[in-house]
Amino acid sequence: MPETATKEPGTSRGTDVLVRATEVCKSIDGRRILDDVSLDVRRGEVVVLVGPSGAGKTTFLRTINSLETIDSGEILMDGHMVGYRRKADGTLVMDSAATVAKQRQEIGFVFQHFHLFPHMSVMENLWHAPVRVKGVPKAAAVEKAHKLLARVGLSDKADVRPRNLSGGQQQRVAIARALAMSPALMLFDEPTSALDPEMTGEVLAVMKELADDHMTMVVVTHEMGFAREVADRVAVMDAGRVIEQGPPAQVFTQPAHARTAAFLSKVL
Amino acid sequence: MTFDWSFFWQNLVSPDGAFLDGLWMTITISMVAMAAGLVLGTVVALLYRSRFTAVRTFAKFYIWLIRGTPLIVQLVIIYLGFAAAGIYKFQDTDVLGVAVKGAVQAAIVGLTIHESAYISEVIRAGIASVDRGQTEAAMALGMRPAGTMRWIVLPQALRTMVPPLGNIFNGLMKHTSLLSIIGVSEMFLVAQSISSTTFKTFEIFLVAALYYLLLTTVWTFVQAWIERRLDDQVGITQPAGRKKLNRPAPAEPVTVLKGVNDA
Ligand SMILES: Nc1ncnc2c1ncn2[C@@H]1O[C@H](COP(=O)(O)OP(=O)(O)OP(=O)(O)O)[C@@H](O)[C@H]1O
Ligand SMILES: [Mg+2]
Repeated sequence: MPETATKEPGTSRGTDVLVRATEVCKSIDGRRILDDVSLDVRRGEVVVLVGPSGAGKTTFLRTINSLETIDSGEILMDGHMVGYRRKADGTLVMDSAATVAKQRQEIGFVFQHFHLFPHMSVMENLWHAPVRVKGVPKAAAVEKAHKLLARVGLSDKADVRPRNLSGGQQQRVAIARALAMSPALMLFDEPTSALDPEMTGEVLAVMKELADDHMTMVVVTHEMGFAREVADRVAVMDAGRVIEQGPPAQVFTQPAHARTAAFLSKVL
Repeated sequence: MTFDWSFFWQNLVSPDGAFLDGLWMTITISMVAMAAGLVLGTVVALLYRSRFTAVRTFAKFYIWLIRGTPLIVQLVIIYLGFAAAGIYKFQDTDVLGVAVKGAVQAAIVGLTIHESAYISEVIRAGIASVDRGQTEAAMALGMRPAGTMRWIVLPQALRTMVPPLGNIFNGLMKHTSLLSIIGVSEMFLVAQSISSTTFKTFEIFLVAALYYLLLTTVWTFVQAWIERRLDDQVGITQPAGRKKLNRPAPAEPVTVLKGVNDA
């Protein structure tokens, strides 16, 4: 079970900062998609990112593991800049592909549409990256993969192809695949939005267990029940900005921002 | 019409040594040029995807040049033109104890270059056919671009690439008949010389046609076999007729996890 063991079980949540985004800006075709986004995520914390469609949640999440470029600002992971380094004169230079790849090993990403590798068995989906990328011995990677599959309740699916799984099962495999790299941080982009309603529960349950094991998580979701129950903090994005953040009880019951209230009235 | 049936049957059922040598030459050159064309075509396809404009431009220029000129002209330039201009002369040599004529080397080089332009386009399209999400998922796991290409994109692209690559190989086997122009004694040239000594033109070229047909037919079966293998191994597409084998497992009751009810 304590497969995530990114820190000792004793350390309580919310001591030091794992991710610090500072004034991140990004424009596409002259339109501001991210507008001075600043957000801290502490070790072991679960931050749920909510907001109306087009607010920039996906884009922001993807900047954290350099799947999107940024125009200005910076994102620190464990105190080190991701995706860029700063020259002496202060300008940003993109990191090499190899450096970015190295940074991404620390960050698990779960996509809305799973993106499992269809030409590999479930088992190989899990051990492939640890073996090929990190050089973990195959036997060790396979053993870990079995543990992770058990953890997401899919031990009996080790040898099947992803296409033979339901959506909910595929997403649980995708979560296990990300965990196989032993990341320090897990990012989720609407992990249940592509699923039939009866399958969201099984995926959210896995995520909740992960949170209970003190994994640091940033979750974009429209599942307000999950946010209310699992999030340590809810951050609301609107039009490329983080307009409000706080404990779920506070944000959901006494929103400070009129746009938050308007958004919540639609989804709650 | 006079048709010498006995000559026809004899050459069809037990062709003489020269004809068999020609057939063998056709097969060998086709296979070697295809293998080399795949390597060169992959390189050109990857150059086409380079982030450097100059490299991309070079790849585009190469494809434009090779696809825009006839194979027969390319062969003559490579073998005769280069030698005449003193650029390069293909010499007869020994490769692993087998004597390889200069013309044969030039033929392989010419066919490789010619087919690589078409092959690179097939590979490029195959790579583009793989969902962008696959690349993103691989990169999110920390894979580098080369590893992502090798382990994630190319294996999936392969299945879509096989039918057009099969077409190219089919065409390539027939293109070898053009090698007679530079004096490679492949099947067509042998048939031509038999024709000029026996005057059984119709008969001998009919035999040659049937042997070309045999080659392309055998290839059709080999290609189908490769496609089936890839369906099982790569397991992405499910062509009609094989659905039963690959039908998804029936829906099962969802495993109830601890915590599932309060999530
Ligand atoms: N590649 C792109 N080109 C142009 N516009 C883009 C691109 N990617 C995102 N955008 C725009 O950026 C804005 C933010 O998009 P983003 O996907 O981050 O929003 P979101 O908050 O995740 O929305 P949703 O809830 O619908 O997923 C949107 O207006 C979108 O149209
Ligand atoms: Mg989104």
